[in-house]
Amino acid sequence: MATASAELEIFSEAPPPPPARPRVLLIGSALLSGSAAMLLFTLIALYAQIRADVLAGGDPWLPGEANLQLPPGSMGMVTLAMSLVTAAWIVQALRAGDRTHALLAFAVTLLFGAAYINITVYGWQQLGLGIADSTQALLIYTITGLHVAMTGVGMLFLVVMAFRALGGQLTGRAAEGVLAAVLYWYVTVGAFAVVWYAITITK
Amino acid sequence: MTVTEAPPAEAVEAAAAPSPSAPPAGLAAVVGSGDPRTVGKLFVGTSLLFLLASGVIGALVGFEQADSAGEQIFGADTAVRMYTLHSTAGLFLGVMPLLLGLATAVVPLQVGAPTLAFPRASAAAYWTWLVSGGIALATYAFDGGPFGTDVDAVGLYVAALIAVIVALAVATSSVVTTVLTLRAPGMSLRRAPLFSWSMLVAGTVWLLVLPVVAAGLLLAYVDLRYGDGFLGGPAGLYNRIAWLFWQPTLYVVAVPALGIIADVVPVFARRRHQRHRAAMVMLGLAAALGFGAWAQLGASVDGGTPAPWLQDGTWNIVSYLAVIPVVGLLLLWTATLGTGRVRLGTPLILAVFSGLLVFLGVAGGVATAIESLDLDGTTWMTAQALLVLLGAVVAGLAGIAFWAPKLYGKLLPDSLVRLGATLVTLGALAAAIPLAISGTMGQQRLVAGNFGGVDSGDVSTVETLNLVSAIGLSVAVLGALVVGLAMLTRRRGDGPGDDPWDGHTLEWTTSSPPPLGNFASLPEITSEAPLYDSRYAPATATEGSA
Repeated sequence: MATASAELEIFSEAPPPPPARPRVLLIGSALLSGSAAMLLFTLIALYAQIRADVLAGGDPWLPGEANLQLPPGSMGMVTLAMSLVTAAWIVQALRAGDRTHALLAFAVTLLFGAAYINITVYGWQQLGLGIADSTQALLIYTITGLHVAMTGVGMLFLVVMAFRALGGQLTGRAAEGVLAAVLYWYVTVGAFAVVWYAITITK
Repeated sequence: MTVTEAPPAEAVEAAAAPSPSAPPAGLAAVVGSGDPRTVGKLFVGTSLLFLLASGVIGALVGFEQADSAGEQIFGADTAVRMYTLHSTAGLFLGVMPLLLGLATAVVPLQVGAPTLAFPRASAAAYWTWLVSGGIALATYAFDGGPFGTDVDAVGLYVAALIAVIVALAVATSSVVTTVLTLRAPGMSLRRAPLFSWSMLVAGTVWLLVLPVVAAGLLLAYVDLRYGDGFLGGPAGLYNRIAWLFWQPTLYVVAVPALGIIADVVPVFARRRHQRHRAAMVMLGLAAALGFGAWAQLGASVDGGTPAPWLQDGTWNIVSYLAVIPVVGLLLLWTATLGTGRVRLGTPLILAVFSGLLVFLGVAGGVATAIESLDLDGTTWMTAQALLVLLGAVVAGLAGIAFWAPKLYGKLLPDSLVRLGATLVTLGALAAAIPLAISGTMGQQRLVAGNFGGVDSGDVSTVETLNLVSAIGLSVAVLGALVVGLAMLTRRRGDGPGDDPWDGHTLEWTTSSPPPLGNFASLPEITSEAPLYDSRYAPATATEGSA
């Protein structure tokens, strides 16, 4: 009894716990994800403006030697769209405390990211234009290259958060970090939908 | 990197018990610090140095324009390049980081947070900003920068400027996240201090605007390295930046300055801020109207005409509307001062100066939008930018004087600060008004590639006006030097105490300077001015009104 009483006394004298940090990482990631999206959307807006100017002059947008095929871009879009499901799967598995499924979902999402980068590089190889060949090529390489870089950052973010979450508790700040990484991933995929439409679909 | 921030409980324990390992001291304590106050002070100090450099260069270019046919300091081509250095350094290395540095140090204190949301990121942002800013300036020595002739140096300049922008965005996101997530219990957003609120709204817009600049620069970089110069090469580079100095984007830079004034005025009026919520709306409106990325296509500086849709519609409306929040805030401050018992402290005097300059700059924007006056592309716009940006600098100085006890643990000497700020204000007016007049006479902006060009009017009169403007800018630089000297000294007498101004907000509940972790305990927060409540009107506190 005396020991329990002493323990209670110790607890009563203990300093209050530090205040909770409500979704700091999530909010910060949301803000910077918005900035990253603005970066890409600005480039697409410039692309659209320059393209409209060329078309208004009566010229075709893409040079004759360009070979901008639909399949690579569309497959990239489908791949990233599927990664949305697996990213949601990560969050769901963490909420359920299911470590195995969370690990699997992380792996598949990263695999989809790698596949997207692979197919984009393939698209560059098929394009038939070097970056210095024309304004059109320069714009296409800059925009798609920036998006590949964004995807790489997203994959790195997911890997770091996966280690934090799977190496420790599946809840609390670690889970919030995963949520932040998934949010960034969603923004990256959403941004690619715009890139895909502006470059691949409209040609 | 050693990070020295600590939550309050740990800080109290650390003060009570000897530390097993000594904390870093000297340079290591500065370089390795993630303490918001240290990072904020670094931002403030170095941005003031960059501002001085920017001011000196601007004055030299002004003297060059005063006698375009006589003795030359730079020569026409170099003068145009130096002007771009003056303007970009003034904004990206001067005004924005000055306000951001103040926010980095003060916002956690204002919202009752132990530290910033991302202290390590803010520290990394500072060092990235400093190194990249230094590189960007150094490239001018190798023919870099806009209108430079060495493509490699120009490319390096662009890359460094992108890094500066990324650093500013990261530091901004840290401050904004702090306001959003780390407010003390009881402090709803409606009860947030107005400077913190202004950083929230302005910072959010900065986070949307800065990437637009970075995207333009990124494309310019790729074009420089690999393309055929379809964006205009080094000569077209300034087109990617210049719209920041043009309304409405110009105004969003000044929103935190309005926030500083809004925090200073009620303290020295010894009165609750009149219509606090209305002031929040006005600050939000000013920031929203300042989102001017959509208007950049009209900001052609190479002699091209603005896009027709810009002059005909939205841009004009926004230019007119932008006056409303500034005038609204001025009215609220007048009412606060009018109903209070005013104490003419140094921060208040500086705040009044700042409000005057910003108002004149924004009011000048209305005239710019009137097409028949034909002021677009003239030095009228340069004058407008000078007024708004130097107004923001004076507000920054007001903030430094106001929060000096928390930043530096001392009060700044009144006489030196007042003298310096008066010189900056008078210098700003003397620099801007002649340029505005010469703008009405048709003098083109310098970066229009028309050095000393005058479409109409008397050239000698314009050159005289340019001379007066250059002298004005020199006086402003001298004033900034005096304030810098004041920052290195302290007011005679005892220490500042925890609350030398009888402040209204949470930063005045902690010691000067604050301990690591900022607060040992926080008072109950039931309004936007918790200390005012406890001091003057605990029973009749009416949130959001007089």
